[in-house]
Amino acid sequence: MTLTTDCTSCADERTAGASFCEVCGRRLTETAEPPSAREDCSHCGAAGAVDDDGYCEECGMQAGRSRDHLEADGGATGAAVSDRGRRHHRNEDAMWLAVGSDAADVVVSDGVSASFDPDAASDIAVRAAGELLAAARHPDEQPAPGNPDETVDLDRPQGAVGLAGAVAHAIAGAAAAVASLAHTGDPRRAAANPACTIVAAAVRGPHVGYGWVGDSRVYWLGPDGPAEQLTEDDSWAAHVIALGADPVTAMNDPKAHAITAWLGADAGPVAPRVRSFTATEPGHLILCSDGLWNYLPDAAEFGAVVREALAAAAGPLDAARALVAYANAAGGADNITVALVPVHPVAETEPKTRELSTTSED
Amino acid sequence: MSYTAEAFQNEYLATGASEVNAIVTITSTGSEGGRRTAGATEIIIVDASGSMQAEGRIGAARQAAKAAVECIDDGVHFAIIAGVSTAQQLFPDPGQLAVASPQTRADAARAIERLQANGGTAMGAWLLMAAQLFAQRPGDIKHAILLTDGDNGERAGYLETVLDQIKEQFVCDCRGVGANWKVAELRKIADRMLGTVDIVAKPTELTASFQQMITAAMGKTSADVQLKVITPVTSKVRFVKQVEPQVADLTGKRVEDGRAGRYPLGSWGQESRDYHLCFDVTPGNVGDNMMAGRVQILEGDTVLATVLVKATWTEDTALSTKINRQVAHYTGQAELAEVIQEGLTAHKAGDDRTATIKFGRAAQLARASGNTATEELLSKVVEIEDAVTGTVRLKRRVAAEDEMALDTRSTKTVRVGRGQ
Repeated sequence: MTLTTDCTSCADERTAGASFCEVCGRRLTETAEPPSAREDCSHCGAAGAVDDDGYCEECGMQAGRSRDHLEADGGATGAAVSDRGRRHHRNEDAMWLAVGSDAADVVVSDGVSASFDPDAASDIAVRAAGELLAAARHPDEQPAPGNPDETVDLDRPQGAVGLAGAVAHAIAGAAAAVASLAHTGDPRRAAANPACTIVAAAVRGPHVGYGWVGDSRVYWLGPDGPAEQLTEDDSWAAHVIALGADPVTAMNDPKAHAITAWLGADAGPVAPRVRSFTATEPGHLILCSDGLWNYLPDAAEFGAVVREALAAAAGPLDAARALVAYANAAGGADNITVALVPVHPVAETEPKTRELSTTSED
Repeated sequence: MSYTAEAFQNEYLATGASEVNAIVTITSTGSEGGRRTAGATEIIIVDASGSMQAEGRIGAARQAAKAAVECIDDGVHFAIIAGVSTAQQLFPDPGQLAVASPQTRADAARAIERLQANGGTAMGAWLLMAAQLFAQRPGDIKHAILLTDGDNGERAGYLETVLDQIKEQFVCDCRGVGANWKVAELRKIADRMLGTVDIVAKPTELTASFQQMITAAMGKTSADVQLKVITPVTSKVRFVKQVEPQVADLTGKRVEDGRAGRYPLGSWGQESRDYHLCFDVTPGNVGDNMMAGRVQILEGDTVLATVLVKATWTEDTALSTKINRQVAHYTGQAELAEVIQEGLTAHKAGDDRTATIKFGRAAQLARASGNTATEELLSKVVEIEDAVTGTVRLKRRVAAEDEMALDTRSTKTVRVGRGQ
């Protein structure tokens, strides 16, 4: 009888006796070597078809493009979704979400397309800032008694103000990390150094600290009324509007979206604008890149759409997904990143332990 | 040898687009110290048919062959074949290869003196003998020179049969002296044997031509270099063309290697060549980034350089409408070679109207790309009134040599920016 052996590498059936698979050329032995360290393709599923350069030999697609659509689910504490959109060939936005008990650190960054490797800039920015935000302490928290390393800092800013300082520190760290990219990796980075915007927020109970560089935004949506834009874009349009130009004319100018501050080696000293507040009524903090707010320039309209998304959603993740879908349905002209963090005033919350354990969703 | 491969392309495609073009530049450093990594064998085939007596051609051919032998490096195997109605080995003894040394080169020179022009032209037989001699040296860098002055006298189809049998086994550069040989015939040989074809109008130019060919051959340090193109199931190779230093279509020389294909590139020294690869791919979704092909340079089965040709679909027309400068340039150079061929064919058929249009377009392309050499060749066949607009007039009297020079040399290209 004829014995047939399946090639363990490509599963092709070949008559026994042959030493090598006629299809893939690998040795046909019982202890066939594992088909090298090459990875399986995430698009077509072909086993071991992805070469070192990241492309699948079977379907040709670039494997491992996880950034096209990212989701971070912090349960009821918050969620973030980042999407490539419909017009850009890659996602140059990046996000960070770390949640603890009644605490959240959230960062959104939008790579500047005119720079080289903007996706690397936004990626390192959110990581650097996110890791530094973890050190932000709850303003109401007292140092643990009996800890010899802890001293009571009498000058420590009270309330949410301290959180603004932590955000400033985190953005400064991100700025240094992004600036360092110009002289690593691809030499073209030196000519058009990687650059990005950043918006970061630290939420500790009812206290919120936030800060930004560029035109990524933070909105506050209270129980009723329009959304409130908490940030002022570092953009040409915002600049001339502040100087008295007509807002409609300014926003329609081709230069409207040119940003006047960013993170990157050519940014000079970065002076993030940071603020803080303590919520007195329940609401949502929304951080987003211009991929969303471009379609909702009016704060009332923005608020209505977010409110509708929240009402229809089972939780923050669902709502964030719905907002990304809204931007994609409107055209998806840019990368879209949305982070949603519910904030509760003190009266609403139960007494709780102040032990903060931040976990990275990344 | 070490090689580098670089792809020049605009990888951005409009939604639904399926054609991917790239220019791949392959540069080899040559082997260390210019030493050959393999042995080398050189065979010189000199037409000794009766017609070679005219214009002192046989005397010039003797001089050229002797000069060529002088250029052969010590240690290289060589032989000389006298081309008559059969192939006769002039040096060394039949069936043998000599090893180049001062002694053997002097012996060869004496043998060449005995070369007499009295016979027919049998290119198939000459090439077959060369192939048999080369077969003694597997793995060698194999190069031959074929010199003739007339038409092949063998029965129709014989040369083609021989070429099918020996194709790509050695590189053969073909030279025609005078104006009584057929460009198409020598081009057929050069094409199958990965060599060049050129006219040597005056017998006195033969020596320089032979010296140049042998010197170039001695500079080759690797034999059997191949281009391997690996394509995913969604991509097919439409064509592979060498576009620099001259246009040569390699598409038909594909040898299947699984789903990949291999294309022979002949022997290489320290040099650089450009290839135009065109793929038909299944259009992807906006944002998809795929490889249309992975292009590799191989010596035997060893991969020495790899480069990717990619495709990324975008709705951003600012990205997708950019034509890569290299691709545009070489597309123009290939069209230039093509319209010259079409012009020559029309001219021969007496269709002056078509010939004028084709040569006009050629003049325009040559000027626009800075290919002054081709423009000069063209100006010997037509009066170029305005190269920018492509206005030309056919010359009433065109020397056969000039038309043949245009025919053989019009495949030579220039690199982007060169000569501008």
